[in-house]
Amino acid sequence: MGRTVAADNEQIGPFHGLVEAYGFVPNLFVLQKELPRAIEGEQRLIEAIAVREYGLSRRLKDSLFRIVANARGSDYCRALHAQTCPNDGEEGPVLLAFAHKLARHAPWVCKHDVEALRASGFDDSLILEAVLAVALGQLLCTLANALGPNLDAGLPTPALIESSGLPEPVEWVEARGPYLRPGPQPASNFQPYAFFREQFGFVPNLFQEQMLRPDVVEAESQILAQILIPEDLLSRVEKEHIVLLISAANLNTYLVAVHSQILATLGVPLEDSNQIVEDYRCAAISPAERALLDEVRKLAYFPAGSGAGFDPALLRAHGFGEPQILEAVAMAAVTNFLNTLQAGLGAVPDFPPHRVFTRKDLYPSSGPARLISDVPSPDDPDAAIVVRVQGGDTDAFEELVRRHSRRVFGTLTGLLGNLEDARDITQDVFLKAFEHIGRFQGRSKFSTWLTSIAINTGTELLRQRKPSESLDGAEEDDDFRPRQIQSWADNPEEALAASQRTDLVREGVLRLPGKYRIVVLLRDINQLSTEEAAAALGLSIPAVKARLLRGRLMLREGLAPYFIRMEKRSPDAQLR
Amino acid sequence: MLSCAEFLAEFGDYLEEAASPEVRARLEEHLHECKTCQVIVDSTRKTIRFVTDCDSFTLTADQVEPIVNAVMNRIREKKPR
Repeated sequence: MGRTVAADNEQIGPFHGLVEAYGFVPNLFVLQKELPRAIEGEQRLIEAIAVREYGLSRRLKDSLFRIVANARGSDYCRALHAQTCPNDGEEGPVLLAFAHKLARHAPWVCKHDVEALRASGFDDSLILEAVLAVALGQLLCTLANALGPNLDAGLPTPALIESSGLPEPVEWVEARGPYLRPGPQPASNFQPYAFFREQFGFVPNLFQEQMLRPDVVEAESQILAQILIPEDLLSRVEKEHIVLLISAANLNTYLVAVHSQILATLGVPLEDSNQIVEDYRCAAISPAERALLDEVRKLAYFPAGSGAGFDPALLRAHGFGEPQILEAVAMAAVTNFLNTLQAGLGAVPDFPPHRVFTRKDLYPSSGPARLISDVPSPDDPDAAIVVRVQGGDTDAFEELVRRHSRRVFGTLTGLLGNLEDARDITQDVFLKAFEHIGRFQGRSKFSTWLTSIAINTGTELLRQRKPSESLDGAEEDDDFRPRQIQSWADNPEEALAASQRTDLVREGVLRLPGKYRIVVLLRDINQLSTEEAAAALGLSIPAVKARLLRGRLMLREGLAPYFIRMEKRSPDAQLR
Repeated sequence: MLSCAEFLAEFGDYLEEAASPEVRARLEEHLHECKTCQVIVDSTRKTIRFVTDCDSFTLTADQVEPIVNAVMNRIREKKPR
């Protein structure tokens, strides 16, 4: 606790809403003083959800906050929402069971749970208020677990709410929302809708389905305006990646679909977003962003994550400043809030989801990872050695270096275009692989993982040297058409000596634009499969295929003058 | 029938013998009629064979060992005693 920023009790503000809600400015918000806009957004949400009493009392909402705090293991939030009068259970077990399930097992929540609330006398307005309270509880717990505030002076630590008797879910029921009846349509000048249209291009169903509480929708649009939209600290795309990553960890099909679409409108190809969702560690992102996602991933609420292990020091080591770290944490907190809302309301995707999370994605053990096998793939020829190295057998790593140094060197030579550089960097790649081998969990072959380290390392160096050279870019950015359209000799290899062939191919490959060169290297020279190359490069399979074909055709163009069959020139041939 | 541009945009899977029967039939219909694309397919196949068989980006065995030794020495130096 208290591990992020030295808390002090100096007055921040003016945050009258926090004082109204809590009687003082809690340490949780003092710790965010370097990012006042986040505090402002959080305060508005707290005012709208926790302070205003529509149907549920403040005392009852405190009970719901504490249920979430128990689920997330947050002593701080349990203390912050302690109440003076004990919980007498008057709200009934059905609401508490619903809150418990939504807080701890959100992917299992279904319309039957909402129907059970209705059967107990809760109308849609009350159900919405309960869902909002649990969602806000998730937001606050995410902040508390990441920032580790000291307990506020004078607050007691209440006893854990006993959850015995609340069944663990056993059956995954396909979500068929929305669970609540539609609220009134707002006036055409309703400001939050204008915000969503301007920023997202549409009004997501998730917000339309809360129109029983337009004041809350307004507060939600404001916190998004304060945390997601600004570009002065983290970039918008980095924050959208956080939304994707946390939503995928929480198995939330809706948020992944919506924000993949939003990223597409920002110019990020769908396949790049999919890579963040499926395995961001293979995505084409900078080492710093990868470190950011490594840490933020720990803040997902599912499976019952407590944020344990979130380490801001690792982010500082990658050059992130305090405001950026705070913004990343706030983005994760808002994402958990939105994920909880969606799970509780059953909002249906605004777009056909590219990735639908199903029961197959459940990983019932309580580890931090999802969709990750703890055992290296059995068809990976390196699996046994990797396990030995992970178990502490340093010497076993020698065999991995011996097996893969040619491949790594080949990849780097092609990327860097310089044999000496490639030799030096090859060593660095293996040292990095050794350093991080504990994190390798066998989702791809070891060789693919190693190749992705080589690509990232080489690309980073290349960017430092040649900022104009890019491995990114659209497929259709140049209008390439074959020009050499004369027949080749039957056995072109016979036209040149072996050393000439080697030089010719090397020169031809090095002349290719970077984004085609790397794909040709991985597929035709390093002999990776299309799927392995796609994983190593963080590209979709169609993108790899398109680049490979273009690269091969360009190479063909360069080789053609050496191999055209002299006796059969056909000057009339042309493309139609 | 496909134009040459359409053919050239589609024939990647055909080269890898991974095109679906429908795509393959459409491509072969074009190929049957188009000498130019026949030349491009043939020469691209030869390019792939040529590139794949060349050791243009590899190390010889005597170049591998110094790298292995350098990496392992650096790892062992860092290892706590």
